[in-house]
Amino acid sequence: MNSRKIKDGIINIFIWAAAAFSVGILIAIVYFIFSNGLPLISSRFITAQYNASTNIIHMTSEQTFLQPSGQDIFSENLGIGLEQDDDGFWVNYVDTNSPGRRAINNADEIVPVEVGQLLQAVTGADGQLRVDANTSPEDVVAALNSSPDITLRLNEQGGGVWPLIVTTLLLILTTLLVAAPIGILAAIYMVEYAKPGKVVNTIRFATEILAGIPSIVYGLFGFLVFVNTLHIGQSILAGALTLMILLLPTMIRTTEEALKTVPMSYREASYGLGANKIQTISKVVLPSAIPGITVGVILAIGRIVGESAALLMTLGTFARLPVNMSTGNLSLREAGTTLTVRAYVEVNESGNVEMAAAIGIVILVIVFALNIISKLISRKFSKANY
Amino acid sequence: METKFSVKDLDLFYGAFQALHHINIEIPGKQVTAFIGPSGCGKSTFLRTLNRMNDLIDTVKITGYVSLDGEDIYSGVDVMKLRTRVGMVFQKPNPFPMSIYDNVAYGPRCQGIKDKKSLDAIVEKSLRGAALWDEAKDRLNKSALGLSGGQQQRLCIARAIAMEPEVILMDEPTSALDPIATQKVEELIESLKKDYTIVIVTHSMQQAARISDKTAFFLMGELIEFGDTNQIFTKPHDKRTEDYITGRFG
Amino acid sequence: MVELSVKLEEENSVECALFLHYFEVEVLSVEKEMSVNQRRVMMEKLFHGIFFTAASIAVVSVALIIIFIFSRGLQPFFPGNEFGNYNPISFLTGLNWRPSFGTFGIGYMIVSSLLATLGAILLGVPIALLTAVFLAEVAPKRLAAIIQPAVELLAAIPSVLYGVFGFAIIAPAVRNISPYSTGNSLLAVILVLSIMILPTIASICTTSIRAVPGYYREGSLALGASKIQTIFKVVIPSAKSGILTAIVLGVGRAIGETMAVILVAGNSEGGIPSSIFSIIRPLTVNIALEMGYAAGMQQQMLFSTAVVLIIFIIIINLVLSKIQKKAG
Repeated sequence: MNSRKIKDGIINIFIWAAAAFSVGILIAIVYFIFSNGLPLISSRFITAQYNASTNIIHMTSEQTFLQPSGQDIFSENLGIGLEQDDDGFWVNYVDTNSPGRRAINNADEIVPVEVGQLLQAVTGADGQLRVDANTSPEDVVAALNSSPDITLRLNEQGGGVWPLIVTTLLLILTTLLVAAPIGILAAIYMVEYAKPGKVVNTIRFATEILAGIPSIVYGLFGFLVFVNTLHIGQSILAGALTLMILLLPTMIRTTEEALKTVPMSYREASYGLGANKIQTISKVVLPSAIPGITVGVILAIGRIVGESAALLMTLGTFARLPVNMSTGNLSLREAGTTLTVRAYVEVNESGNVEMAAAIGIVILVIVFALNIISKLISRKFSKANY
Repeated sequence: METKFSVKDLDLFYGAFQALHHINIEIPGKQVTAFIGPSGCGKSTFLRTLNRMNDLIDTVKITGYVSLDGEDIYSGVDVMKLRTRVGMVFQKPNPFPMSIYDNVAYGPRCQGIKDKKSLDAIVEKSLRGAALWDEAKDRLNKSALGLSGGQQQRLCIARAIAMEPEVILMDEPTSALDPIATQKVEELIESLKKDYTIVIVTHSMQQAARISDKTAFFLMGELIEFGDTNQIFTKPHDKRTEDYITGRFG
Repeated sequence: MVELSVKLEEENSVECALFLHYFEVEVLSVEKEMSVNQRRVMMEKLFHGIFFTAASIAVVSVALIIIFIFSRGLQPFFPGNEFGNYNPISFLTGLNWRPSFGTFGIGYMIVSSLLATLGAILLGVPIALLTAVFLAEVAPKRLAAIIQPAVELLAAIPSVLYGVFGFAIIAPAVRNISPYSTGNSLLAVILVLSIMILPTIASICTTSIRAVPGYYREGSLALGASKIQTIFKVVIPSAKSGILTAIVLGVGRAIGETMAVILVAGNSEGGIPSSIFSIIRPLTVNIALEMGYAAGMQQQMLFSTAVVLIIFIIIINLVLSKIQKKAG
């Protein structure tokens, strides 16, 4: 009797210790990421460019612009507004039609004027005006308005993750645009049309194995096939195609599960009312399965945000906006990199743990938000009385 | 006739809901006592207070006095020890997903008995006691889940006997069984009462009439009437008991 | 089989059309209704086609990638390969990877991968299982209601961040106790992987322990067993299949992890790890490190490495489906 009590007590201590260890180590990781990353996070962290750069750009004005109210330092010639502080003059407004949006550099590439850049010099009709914190606003505006042809030297501060966020979002959109329809439609076929038997079982087993294949293998495949053989090059498109193959098995499986939870009686009721198969699917089965499918899509987004091995060589590792330099537009054929891949590269190439952790904070916020949203959806879903 | 359980002024609450009202009863030893009453009358809840299985539910609060052989089971008694003295058989047969042998040996092992010979002896004795030995002796190492429902229930009884308890509580032990299996379990109960005190909750008045010596009738959490089974079923004192056993409600 | 059913449906619709035509001539008043019906049949067929196409695309793309990887990966071991031949035995058992000398042995990587996975499981599973026991059986409800969602959230953290943590905290800590000058080691990999798989295994185990029917617990407690005895003798054995599934998933994740591992593995060029402080080079790392510039036979050999990985995954899956079948 007594020995049992002692034994139970010891095991109980082990249980509490294990739980404390699990919780502790996981708190340690989150604390580690926040404590290392927070010093780098400023109000500009989300919106600023990743790399610091200085651009000399030319623009030609073809009209005059109205001064917006509250904008004290404003060039009517260029439609560009500035604000002054201890560091100098910052771009804080660019009119939609401003020639600054089509400005080109010496290599004839489009490098638009953007909010948050620091103005360092203006070259107009009166030669070059160097701009710093002590320059008077009147002189700056006069220089900006001195001629239709203006050349600016603008400094980009860097230290932000804007390009990573844009690339990540574009990658998510592109991947889902291809993977979601194919995955969902294929799952409908598997559940609603295909006769259960060897074929379906084989497909199911194959998808299960594919879901377990390490993503580095997909990365290797995507790099060789999409990037090299098909000459797509490192780009959002190549990354998205690779991720599409990686995600298809999971997409199909989660959608299948969602469709299977719709009770047979719903379908029977619909057929009983004279609806045909496609009406039954579109009006009865799919609406009931939509929460489950949505959760599947959200999980897929989480997977894209967290993926790195499959993207390393297909999407690339450059922290840049995926912008085509000759048109100035975002393009799927351009390389970029996601938050997660960049966090890896920062550590692997330069041991920059602080930057990786700062990026990590953004990743954690996104992943946690996705997780909570999917939880809320499934909770609401399970409350609905099926 | 000695009194096994003595219950005085027992109240039981599920949170704010009072499920048992002022129960007073003296359950005799080495006899079969049946609890009858409509669903939700509190008979199963009361049964579970006798081996403190209600402790598993957080919201339950119990006041009053329950004693086993004169000893208050709600103060100063080791619950685990109490449950070795007061065994229980449940409504749905619940053998563990392990072999027949391991099921029966489970309780003794938990008490620290490791010796193979003693365990073998306990298993055989218990299975014989539950009239399952002949059917099970060749498949002791097979999964208990392979037995039929009736066999499973007798295994659960064997499992309880293995602890050599003084009392066996049975919570509608035949409600999930077919008539033939039910008959076997009833015969078993008959033969067990010479060694054990048996308290059985049953939904079937015929069953209570067939196997019990004493019958208690519960209604809406109250003990309405308690007496010899014969008397309850032929000359009930209370109008409500009469209405129930004549089938006017149920 | 699929083709056959499509054909059958085609025949049906032809019949249907003939039938409709007959009615169109005979009973003009119902003509409108019939054409609606015909449209419905057409739509039905159209959508059937769309669903079938989607399923085919999924299946074909999935089949293509497997065929592609296997054909590339197996080429070096069959005669007639444009970059020359390589002995599969010396590939699988070789203890050196020196592409510039034409030496491609992955034996030591297989050992690295297996040791790292085994270590992660031995370390991670007991802690995860006890954590699950805590959440499902021991913890006060309110505490469990806070900790369980937290554990589930942590399962969603991308592995790269575990790698960053390993690089900045674990590897330096290992260096302090290591006889070598680097903290990158088998031990660091095991620690990172076991922390990484911990929340996943813990939350699956919690779910399967919670799914054990209450009457098992009641049955055990009614026999005078203690709570701890009930948990370890009845509840955990009853949740066995879920727990094994979690472990198998953990094995899959650990063996397939790349980025978190690269940062702390040390990425050796050869040799079986002699101690837990040795640097290692798991299979996944081999692919990741060299795919960017590999060409010719070296590139084929990376695919061969992928084939070995896939075979491991297939074995793991077969084990898993056996377990699930056994559990019914």
